[in-house]
Amino acid sequence: MPRRVIESDVCIIGSGISAAMVAEKLAEERVATIVVVEAGEESDRLSRRPALRRRFLDYGESPWQNDHLDGYEVAGIQSRSMQVGGLAMHWGGVTPRFSPEDFKVRSLYGVGHDWPISYEELDPWYQEAEVRLGVAGEQGPPDLDPRGKPFPLAPIPLTYNLLRLREWTDRAGVPMWSQPSAKNSAPYRGRPACCRNDTCSPVCPIGAKYSPDFTWGALRKTKKVELLTRTVVRRLMRGANGRISHAVAVSRDGGAELEFRARTFVVAGGYAWSSQLLLVSEVANRSGLVGKFLTGHRNVSGYVSLPLQLYPGMNGQHSLVSKKFMRVPRGERYLRHDLRVWESSVGREARLTDSEGNLLLGDEVLADWRRRTATGTARVRAYYDVIPDRESSLTLDGSKRTPWGDPLPQLSFRDAPESAAARAWSEERIRALFAELARAGGGEVLSTRSDSFQDHPAGGCRMGDDSADSVTDSWGRTHEHENLFVVGAPTCVSGGCANGTLTFCALSLRSAEEIGKAFPTRK
Amino acid sequence: MLARRHFVLQLAALLPLPLVARRVHRLAVADLDPGLLRALAAAVLPSELGGSGLERTTADFERWLAGYREGVELVHGYGTGQIQYTGPSPALRWSTQLRELEAASQRHHRMPFERLAVGERQTLVRSALEGQRVGGLPQIDRAPHVAIGLLAFFYGSPEASDLCYQARIGSSSCRPLSESARRPLPLREKS
Repeated sequence: MPRRVIESDVCIIGSGISAAMVAEKLAEERVATIVVVEAGEESDRLSRRPALRRRFLDYGESPWQNDHLDGYEVAGIQSRSMQVGGLAMHWGGVTPRFSPEDFKVRSLYGVGHDWPISYEELDPWYQEAEVRLGVAGEQGPPDLDPRGKPFPLAPIPLTYNLLRLREWTDRAGVPMWSQPSAKNSAPYRGRPACCRNDTCSPVCPIGAKYSPDFTWGALRKTKKVELLTRTVVRRLMRGANGRISHAVAVSRDGGAELEFRARTFVVAGGYAWSSQLLLVSEVANRSGLVGKFLTGHRNVSGYVSLPLQLYPGMNGQHSLVSKKFMRVPRGERYLRHDLRVWESSVGREARLTDSEGNLLLGDEVLADWRRRTATGTARVRAYYDVIPDRESSLTLDGSKRTPWGDPLPQLSFRDAPESAAARAWSEERIRALFAELARAGGGEVLSTRSDSFQDHPAGGCRMGDDSADSVTDSWGRTHEHENLFVVGAPTCVSGGCANGTLTFCALSLRSAEEIGKAFPTRK
Repeated sequence: MLARRHFVLQLAALLPLPLVARRVHRLAVADLDPGLLRALAAAVLPSELGGSGLERTTADFERWLAGYREGVELVHGYGTGQIQYTGPSPALRWSTQLRELEAASQRHHRMPFERLAVGERQTLVRSALEGQRVGGLPQIDRAPHVAIGLLAFFYGSPEASDLCYQARIGSSSCRPLSESARRPLPLREKS
């Protein structure tokens, strides 16, 4: 059966948040035909989300049924989500920037690797990402939280609980402020203001939280992009002069193979599937670093009991944030982390047995609960920077294949030796900070834990100036193929110590600027 | 007649077929005695709910059970590639347990469970829960006993939280951002 050929100026593979940023910017600024290829399904429309949210609240059901492909179960940590909008259909909408130090840890502290761009260079793209997403934020202390322009939206107001908790952290000498979030504090771009439904992750029922389907909806409505769903890109093919000539894909509905021809290809498949596609296609890997230097950050979280009357449930997904610990004090061992504080009900939930193990029934349960809620609990968490190891990697798994016969990836995160050696000490230091905070508030730490995985994964196609030491340049253009870009998470050199999505968006917009140079400016 | 129906239900429940499971679930929901359930609710839920609150909670619980679906994808979060699904319906287990409470009532008091005093009902519930691992509130569908299911259902609700704190927190409901900074109003005070 002959292949069906689809031609465009730009072919974007994947439809997650990075793809949405690239497509929107190109469609606005350049005269170029854009085709987007998504392996998953359409995401459920906004009007269905209140009902889907209800099922989530009542039964724990995922509001995003079938947002993943069967037969794509991989070895290693991987967040499953393939649908229009990608994982950012689930996200919590938390959008801190990385800190200036994240981009130059080698120069400043002698560990890890510097990025090929500085925070200052990325600042305009951060601003643009904040405008496109609609970030509501509070300016932190400028020396800790520098930014070229104000946030586009006023901060999400602190709840009564967070105001009380900020009084506590102020007493402890830790400046904290409202966590920037891609949630509307006022109506924005046709979407309503947040009204504290408090299920941002996994689903906002009213569309106050940004998700990429809004961008795709607008672009498709005005026919600025063509988005094909249920279409799996299997290979990128080399053409003349080291360029990528076309991508070969299959429709999950069967039929002839598809051949996407484009002047520019943009791989926007996130940290796992971008590297997998490059590896199976055997492209862009002259350095041998495709799939290497997977990165993220580790965390320590805890619960602190405080002599404060709090009212859990006011807006539990919103938090305070501090960047105070993102700088290493002179002469101290390398440890950089953020700090966040939330309201919590942990340790103060209703229970069915008392401390002696006696069963409680009827009025006893409520009476016991009331006794234990006269004071409150804060949830605290610190993400700390982990230097990625070269062998923190995604490789092709010879034993597992997609339904189309391509090898699935296997992921194995590894800390670089300096981070591995410092892990126990780092986590102990953070636990000590929690204890110090608790003491300052007259409280106590109830519990702490550290997840075994690296959160907010990224990397695999890291950027750099040296083609022997990186997969792409700072614009996301692969060193090896002039017309092949990788955008967003995979290009990160490190995972920093804050949620990465805004940084992925800023990097993607910067890539879009470079991609756009090949096409006429839209008048 | 009841025993035969119960036997058929239990037999059908052994079959893994989703259609059979759905049918069994519907039959078991229909089999849940509303009078017994309300008598149980009055024994295990707080009296502060009052008659109307108890009725509302019990009716909501019945609706919750009727709406339960087996084998539906649960939320999958960060850090795992595994997809998990809702488990078997608790309806059959719970309807059986309700009948067992009734049988125990007849055995010990020679009268229906519904006519016992709240304290006597609680004694029977305590006896039924003997040997069960009870502590925190389980996921509702995993509650080992219908009494625990009712408790988990109510105490996991925003209404229970408001009742505990005597405040209009209204968690998980749409509330203006502009009211965030204010201490929640007392439960009985209108905003």
